[in-house]
Amino acid sequence: MIIHLGHYLALSCVLFSIGAAGFLFRRNVLISLMSIELMMNAVNLTFIAANRWQPLVTSADGTATAAIPHHGHLFTFFVIAVAAAEAAVGLAIVLAFYRLRKTVRTDAADMLRG
Amino acid sequence: MPPASIQQLAAFSFFAALAVVSALATVMMRNPIRNAVGLFVHVLSLAGLYVSLSAHFLTAVQLIVYVGAVVVLFVFVIMLLGPASEAPSDTAGRLPRGIGAAAMIAAGVFLARVVIDLRPERVANPPGFGTIESVGRELFGPAMIPFEMASVLLTAAIVGAFAVARSHHGKVSMSTGEPSDGSSR
Repeated sequence: MIIHLGHYLALSCVLFSIGAAGFLFRRNVLISLMSIELMMNAVNLTFIAANRWQPLVTSADGTATAAIPHHGHLFTFFVIAVAAAEAAVGLAIVLAFYRLRKTVRTDAADMLRG
Repeated sequence: MPPASIQQLAAFSFFAALAVVSALATVMMRNPIRNAVGLFVHVLSLAGLYVSLSAHFLTAVQLIVYVGAVVVLFVFVIMLLGPASEAPSDTAGRLPRGIGAAAMIAAGVFLARVVIDLRPERVANPPGFGTIESVGRELFGPAMIPFEMASVLLTAAIVGAFAVARSHHGKVSMSTGEPSDGSSR
Protein backbone atom coordinates (compact mmCIF):
# COMPACT_ATOMS: atom_id res chain seq x y z
CA MET A 1 0.00 0.00 0.00
CA ILE A 2 1.41 3.33 -1.09
CA ILE A 3 0.56 6.53 0.71
CA HIS A 4 -1.30 8.91 -1.60
CA LEU A 5 -2.58 12.44 -1.37
CA GLY A 6 -5.99 11.06 -0.43
CA HIS A 7 -4.66 9.57 2.81
CA TYR A 8 -3.28 12.92 3.93
CA LEU A 9 -6.52 14.70 2.98
CA ALA A 10 -8.64 12.11 4.81
CA LEU A 11 -6.46 12.46 7.90
CA SER A 12 -6.83 16.23 7.88
CA CYS A 13 -10.62 15.87 7.44
CA VAL A 14 -10.75 13.74 10.56
CA LEU A 15 -8.49 16.10 12.52
CA PHE A 16 -10.54 19.14 11.47
CA SER A 17 -13.80 17.47 12.48
CA ILE A 18 -12.32 16.54 15.87
CA GLY A 19 -11.35 20.19 16.38
CA ALA A 20 -14.76 21.45 15.26
CA ALA A 21 -16.58 18.96 17.49
CA GLY A 22 -14.43 19.98 20.44
CA PHE A 23 -15.13 23.64 19.75
CA LEU A 24 -18.87 22.97 19.73
CA PHE A 25 -18.98 20.61 22.70
CA ARG A 26 -16.57 22.00 25.27
CA ARG A 27 -17.47 25.00 27.40
CA ASN A 28 -14.00 25.86 28.63
CA VAL A 29 -12.62 28.91 26.82
CA LEU A 30 -9.08 27.50 26.91
CA ILE A 31 -10.17 24.25 25.26
CA SER A 32 -12.14 26.21 22.63
CA LEU A 33 -8.92 28.04 21.73
CA MET A 34 -7.03 24.73 21.57
CA SER A 35 -9.74 23.36 19.23
CA ILE A 36 -9.21 26.35 16.94
CA GLU A 37 -5.50 25.49 16.86
CA LEU A 38 -6.39 21.89 15.95
CA MET A 39 -8.52 23.08 13.02
CA MET A 40 -5.79 25.41 11.75
CA ASN A 41 -3.24 22.60 11.94
CA ALA A 42 -5.54 20.33 9.90
CA VAL A 43 -5.80 22.99 7.20
CA ASN A 44 -2.02 23.42 7.21
CA LEU A 45 -1.62 19.69 6.60
CA THR A 46 -3.97 19.97 3.60
CA PHE A 47 -1.95 22.81 2.12
CA ILE A 48 1.38 21.01 2.49
CA ALA A 49 0.10 17.68 1.16
CA ALA A 50 -1.52 19.32 -1.87
CA ASN A 51 1.72 21.20 -2.54
CA ARG A 52 3.67 17.93 -2.54
CA TRP A 53 1.42 16.35 -5.19
CA GLN A 54 1.25 19.43 -7.38
CA PRO A 55 2.03 18.53 -11.01
CA LEU A 56 5.28 19.72 -12.49
CA VAL A 57 5.06 22.99 -14.38
CA THR A 58 5.78 22.35 -18.03
CA SER A 59 6.49 25.00 -20.62
CA ALA A 60 4.43 25.46 -23.78
CA ASP A 61 6.42 23.00 -25.87
CA GLY A 62 6.13 20.41 -23.15
CA THR A 63 9.84 19.76 -22.73
CA ALA A 64 11.30 21.92 -19.98
CA THR A 65 10.02 21.42 -16.46
CA ALA A 66 10.31 24.15 -13.88
CA ALA A 67 10.64 23.54 -10.17
CA ILE A 68 7.44 23.09 -8.17
CA PRO A 69 6.41 26.39 -6.58
CA HIS A 70 5.93 26.38 -2.83
CA HIS A 71 2.55 28.12 -2.75
CA GLY A 72 1.12 25.72 -0.19
CA HIS A 73 4.16 26.15 2.01
CA LEU A 74 3.84 29.93 1.85
CA PHE A 75 0.14 29.74 2.76
CA THR A 76 0.97 27.50 5.70
CA PHE A 77 3.67 29.92 6.84
CA PHE A 78 1.18 32.76 6.96
CA VAL A 79 -1.47 30.61 8.63
CA ILE A 80 1.05 29.79 11.36
CA ALA A 81 1.84 33.51 11.78
CA VAL A 82 -1.87 34.37 12.06
CA ALA A 83 -2.41 31.46 14.47
CA ALA A 84 0.36 32.74 16.74
CA ALA A 85 -1.18 36.22 16.77
CA GLU A 86 -4.62 34.72 17.40
CA ALA A 87 -3.34 32.65 20.33
CA ALA A 88 -1.67 35.68 21.93
CA VAL A 89 -4.76 37.89 21.64
CA GLY A 90 -7.15 35.06 22.54
CA LEU A 91 -5.30 34.15 25.72
CA ALA A 92 -5.11 37.84 26.70
CA ILE A 93 -8.89 37.99 26.27
CA VAL A 94 -9.21 34.85 28.43
CA LEU A 95 -7.23 36.55 31.21
CA ALA A 96 -9.34 39.73 31.01
CA PHE A 97 -12.53 37.63 30.94
CA TYR A 98 -11.42 35.65 33.99
CA ARG A 99 -10.67 38.90 35.82
CA LEU A 100 -14.24 40.07 35.18
CA ARG A 101 -16.17 36.89 35.81
CA LYS A 102 -13.87 34.60 37.87
CA THR A 103 -14.62 31.69 35.54
CA VAL A 104 -13.55 30.38 32.15
CA ARG A 105 -16.95 29.02 31.12
CA THR A 106 -18.08 30.29 27.74
CA ASP A 107 -21.69 30.67 28.98
CA ALA A 108 -20.54 33.37 31.39
CA ALA A 109 -19.59 35.60 28.46
CA ASP A 110 -22.94 37.39 28.27
CA MET A 111 -21.83 40.93 29.08
CA LEU A 112 -23.08 42.22 25.72
CA ARG A 113 -26.54 40.75 26.18
CA GLY A 114 -29.14 43.52 26.31
CA MET B 1 7.16 -3.50 -2.32
CA PRO B 2 10.23 -1.27 -2.29
CA PRO B 3 11.70 -0.48 1.13
CA ALA B 4 11.16 3.26 0.65
CA SER B 5 7.39 2.88 0.45
CA ILE B 6 7.39 0.61 3.53
CA GLN B 7 9.21 3.34 5.45
CA GLN B 8 6.75 5.90 4.12
CA LEU B 9 3.78 3.76 5.13
CA ALA B 10 5.21 3.15 8.61
CA ALA B 11 5.96 6.84 9.19
CA PHE B 12 2.55 7.95 7.95
CA SER B 13 0.69 5.33 10.01
CA PHE B 14 2.60 6.14 13.19
CA PHE B 15 2.27 9.91 12.99
CA ALA B 16 -1.34 9.81 11.74
CA ALA B 17 -2.43 7.56 14.61
CA LEU B 18 -0.53 9.74 17.07
CA ALA B 19 -2.14 12.89 15.62
CA VAL B 20 -5.69 11.49 15.88
CA VAL B 21 -5.20 10.14 19.42
CA SER B 22 -3.61 13.36 20.67
CA ALA B 23 -6.31 15.47 19.00
CA LEU B 24 -8.94 13.42 20.83
CA ALA B 25 -7.00 13.89 24.07
CA THR B 26 -6.84 17.64 23.41
CA VAL B 27 -10.61 18.00 23.21
CA MET B 28 -11.72 15.30 25.68
CA MET B 29 -9.50 15.51 28.76
CA ARG B 30 -10.92 17.24 31.82
CA ASN B 31 -7.76 18.75 33.30
CA PRO B 32 -6.58 21.64 31.06
CA ILE B 33 -2.91 20.74 31.58
CA ARG B 34 -3.63 17.36 29.99
CA ASN B 35 -5.36 19.13 27.10
CA ALA B 36 -2.23 21.24 26.65
CA VAL B 37 -0.05 18.12 26.66
CA GLY B 38 -2.37 16.62 24.05
CA LEU B 39 -1.92 19.72 21.89
CA PHE B 40 1.84 19.42 22.39
CA VAL B 41 1.90 15.82 21.13
CA HIS B 42 -0.45 16.74 18.28
CA VAL B 43 1.83 19.51 17.07
CA LEU B 44 4.86 17.21 17.29
CA SER B 45 3.13 14.48 15.26
CA LEU B 46 2.12 17.01 12.60
CA ALA B 47 5.76 18.08 12.40
CA GLY B 48 6.58 14.43 11.71
CA LEU B 49 4.00 14.36 8.91
CA TYR B 50 5.54 17.53 7.44
CA VAL B 51 8.90 15.74 7.31
CA SER B 52 7.25 12.87 5.39
CA LEU B 53 5.99 15.50 2.91
CA SER B 54 9.55 16.91 2.62
CA ALA B 55 8.51 20.29 4.03
CA HIS B 56 11.67 20.77 6.06
CA PHE B 57 11.42 24.52 6.55
CA LEU B 58 7.83 24.30 7.80
CA THR B 59 8.77 21.49 10.17
CA ALA B 60 11.22 23.86 11.82
CA VAL B 61 8.66 26.68 11.85
CA GLN B 62 6.03 24.36 13.32
CA LEU B 63 8.37 23.25 16.10
CA ILE B 64 9.55 26.77 16.91
CA VAL B 65 6.21 28.58 16.73
CA TYR B 66 3.79 25.95 18.03
CA VAL B 67 5.85 23.94 20.50
CA GLY B 68 8.06 26.86 21.49
CA ALA B 69 5.47 29.62 21.68
CA VAL B 70 1.80 28.67 21.41
CA VAL B 71 1.75 25.60 23.66
CA VAL B 72 4.00 27.35 26.20
CA LEU B 73 1.62 30.33 26.18
CA PHE B 74 -1.32 27.99 26.85
CA VAL B 75 0.56 26.38 29.75
CA PHE B 76 1.43 29.83 31.15
CA VAL B 77 -2.23 30.87 31.15
CA ILE B 78 -3.35 27.56 32.69
CA MET B 79 -0.75 27.96 35.43
CA LEU B 80 -1.80 31.58 35.97
CA LEU B 81 -5.47 30.67 36.36
CA GLY B 82 -4.69 27.70 38.59
CA PRO B 83 -7.62 25.50 39.62
CA ALA B 84 -10.06 27.98 38.03
CA SER B 85 -8.89 26.92 34.58
CA GLU B 86 -11.00 23.77 34.97
CA ALA B 87 -14.57 24.94 34.42
CA PRO B 88 -17.12 23.16 36.63
CA SER B 89 -19.07 20.61 34.66
CA ASP B 90 -22.77 21.03 34.13
CA THR B 91 -25.10 19.01 31.98
CA ALA B 92 -27.36 21.86 30.83
CA GLY B 93 -27.54 22.07 27.06
CA ARG B 94 -25.50 18.93 26.65
CA LEU B 95 -27.89 17.40 24.08
CA PRO B 96 -27.74 20.20 21.43
CA ARG B 97 -23.98 20.50 21.89
CA GLY B 98 -23.62 16.74 21.54
CA ILE B 99 -25.75 16.74 18.39
CA GLY B 100 -23.56 19.49 16.91
CA ALA B 101 -20.36 17.63 17.77
CA ALA B 102 -21.69 14.33 16.38
CA ALA B 103 -22.75 16.09 13.16
CA MET B 104 -19.23 17.51 12.81
CA ILE B 105 -17.63 14.08 13.32
CA ALA B 106 -20.06 12.49 10.82
CA ALA B 107 -19.35 15.19 8.23
CA GLY B 108 -15.59 14.75 8.71
CA VAL B 109 -15.75 10.97 8.32
CA PHE B 110 -17.98 11.26 5.26
CA LEU B 111 -15.64 13.77 3.64
CA ALA B 112 -12.64 11.59 4.51
CA ARG B 113 -14.26 8.63 2.74
CA VAL B 114 -14.77 10.81 -0.34
CA VAL B 115 -11.26 12.22 -0.57
CA ILE B 116 -9.33 9.08 0.39
CA ASP B 117 -9.61 7.80 -3.19
CA LEU B 118 -7.77 10.78 -4.67
CA ARG B 119 -4.70 9.23 -6.28
CA PRO B 120 -2.84 11.82 -8.38
CA GLU B 121 0.53 10.90 -9.80
CA ARG B 122 3.31 11.64 -7.34
CA VAL B 123 6.12 13.40 -9.16
CA ALA B 124 9.72 12.77 -8.21
CA ASN B 125 11.01 14.92 -5.40
CA PRO B 126 12.67 17.89 -7.14
CA PRO B 127 16.04 18.92 -5.69
CA GLY B 128 15.72 21.50 -2.96
CA PHE B 129 11.96 21.10 -2.53
CA GLY B 130 10.84 22.45 0.83
CA THR B 131 14.26 23.47 2.04
CA ILE B 132 14.90 26.79 3.77
CA GLU B 133 16.68 28.13 0.70
CA SER B 134 13.99 27.38 -1.86
CA VAL B 135 11.07 28.43 0.38
CA GLY B 136 13.01 31.53 1.43
CA ARG B 137 13.57 32.54 -2.19
CA GLU B 138 9.81 32.58 -2.75
CA LEU B 139 9.14 34.13 0.63
CA PHE B 140 11.38 37.10 -0.12
CA GLY B 141 10.41 37.19 -3.79
CA PRO B 142 6.74 36.96 -4.80
CA ALA B 143 5.50 36.81 -1.18
CA MET B 144 7.52 39.78 0.05
CA ILE B 145 4.58 42.12 0.76
CA PRO B 146 2.49 39.57 2.72
CA PHE B 147 5.63 38.64 4.67
CA GLU B 148 6.16 42.24 5.75
CA MET B 149 2.45 42.59 6.53
CA ALA B 150 2.73 39.54 8.79
CA SER B 151 5.28 41.43 10.89
CA VAL B 152 2.85 44.36 11.18
CA LEU B 153 0.12 41.89 12.22
CA LEU B 154 2.32 40.33 14.89
CA THR B 155 3.29 43.75 16.27
CA ALA B 156 -0.38 44.76 16.42
CA ALA B 157 -1.20 41.46 18.15
CA ILE B 158 1.48 42.03 20.81
CA VAL B 159 0.25 45.57 21.50
CA GLY B 160 -3.36 44.39 21.54
CA ALA B 161 -2.57 41.52 23.92
CA PHE B 162 -0.87 43.97 26.30
CA ALA B 163 -3.81 46.38 26.11
CA VAL B 164 -6.38 43.65 26.77
CA ALA B 165 -4.56 41.68 29.44
CA ARG B 166 -3.22 44.43 31.68
CA SER B 167 -5.22 45.07 34.82
CA HIS B 168 -7.47 48.13 34.84
CA HIS B 169 -7.30 49.93 38.16
CA GLY B 170 -10.43 51.61 39.48
CA LYS B 171 -12.80 50.17 36.89
CA VAL B 172 -16.26 48.96 37.85
CA SER B 173 -16.54 45.19 38.01
CA MET B 174 -19.20 43.97 35.59
CA SER B 175 -20.08 40.90 37.63
CA THR B 176 -20.86 42.63 40.91
CA GLY B 177 -21.42 46.26 39.88
CA GLU B 178 -19.11 47.42 42.67
CA PRO B 179 -15.86 49.29 42.13
CA SER B 180 -12.96 46.88 42.22
CA ASP B 181 -9.71 47.99 43.78
CA GLY B 182 -7.71 46.34 41.05
CA SER B 183 -5.97 44.06 43.50
CA SER B 184 -7.71 40.97 42.18
CA ARG B 185 -5.64 39.73 39.32
